[in-house]
Amino acid sequence: MTTYGRTAEESAFVRTYTLTRGRTKPRHLLGLETVLEAGPGRPGPAQAEECEEILALCRERRRPVVELAGRLGRPVTAVKVLVSDLLDADALVVPLTQPYADTGAGSGPSTQLLAALSAGLKRKWPDAVAYPQAG
Amino acid sequence: MPSPIHRPDDPAAVPRNPPHACAGAAPTVLKVVIAGGFGAGKTTAVGAVSEITPLSTEEYLTEASADVDSLTGLESKRTTTVAFDFGRLSLSDAPTPLELFLFGTPGQDRFVDLWYDLSRGAVGAVVLVDTRRLESSFTPVSFFEDIGLPFVVAVNQFDGAHRYHPEEVRTALELPAAIPVVTCDARDPNHVAGVLLTLVDHAMNNATTSRTGHAPSTTLQDA
Repeated sequence: MTTYGRTAEESAFVRTYTLTRGRTKPRHLLGLETVLEAGPGRPGPAQAEECEEILALCRERRRPVVELAGRLGRPVTAVKVLVSDLLDADALVVPLTQPYADTGAGSGPSTQLLAALSAGLKRKWPDAVAYPQAG
Repeated sequence: MPSPIHRPDDPAAVPRNPPHACAGAAPTVLKVVIAGGFGAGKTTAVGAVSEITPLSTEEYLTEASADVDSLTGLESKRTTTVAFDFGRLSLSDAPTPLELFLFGTPGQDRFVDLWYDLSRGAVGAVVLVDTRRLESSFTPVSFFEDIGLPFVVAVNQFDGAHRYHPEEVRTALELPAAIPVVTCDARDPNHVAGVLLTLVDHAMNNATTSRTGHAPSTTLQDA
């Protein structure tokens, strides 16, 4: 990478963390796919403009952290910091959902969920076929 | 000041919400990782089945750190940006309302930290292969093998590229017979949905096999 490129990247980094007022660590442990929806609370005063954008997006429908970051064009960690502020204010809440990882640590979804996924995909794309198992 | 926060082991798995927040049950979220080298067609594949235009999402990674969330002590570390694709689709007609998240991630091994994050709790992974750059598939293949995540290999049939038989790709990538190798056109939703179905079948087979494999030799009925 050129010296110029490196400087540009570092200055983007500084701009990002001005947005979070220097905080680089979210107060809540959030996953990329943690889904958020608008809650009854109001964001506190002096919040970044991006907080209003996040709330507007989540009022339309539930959205995961990764999608908010993509739509705002901001790095995931910065968005997690802002989302944490909004969770503290109850302006955002994490909806109750059946967690995919409830079959145990390190394992994937249950066979019931996999069967439901298979059925759902087949209903959505009736012309799609699973390739015959090779070998 | 807000009270101290309880930190669950897996943030995605343990929602912390007041009961009043539960207005209508949220669909269960499942995710699939689509990994591949530069230009293998990951964004195209995500876009073929996603209900939203694939979003490019950025995250900072510190080169010396194993934890993507840890950005402390930045002064001494180089920060790099990693971009990955995100798409989603709802399967409200499924027996359980589901939402499927798709993550398209770059194939270089410096992004392994991100892969760990994405693989946790995932259905499995699709390694998208461009036969003109086969070598870029080795890293994701060995990564998913090492962590035991079910995966399938999908050869993206580019116009004008030499068409290899899936078995040739299997041999070149030294894949065991149990790993499905399929060909697809990443632009075609039916093809990509077919690859996803292949992955789900494979993951179900894996789940059944590993369960029988780990079953104790003496069951309660035997005792």
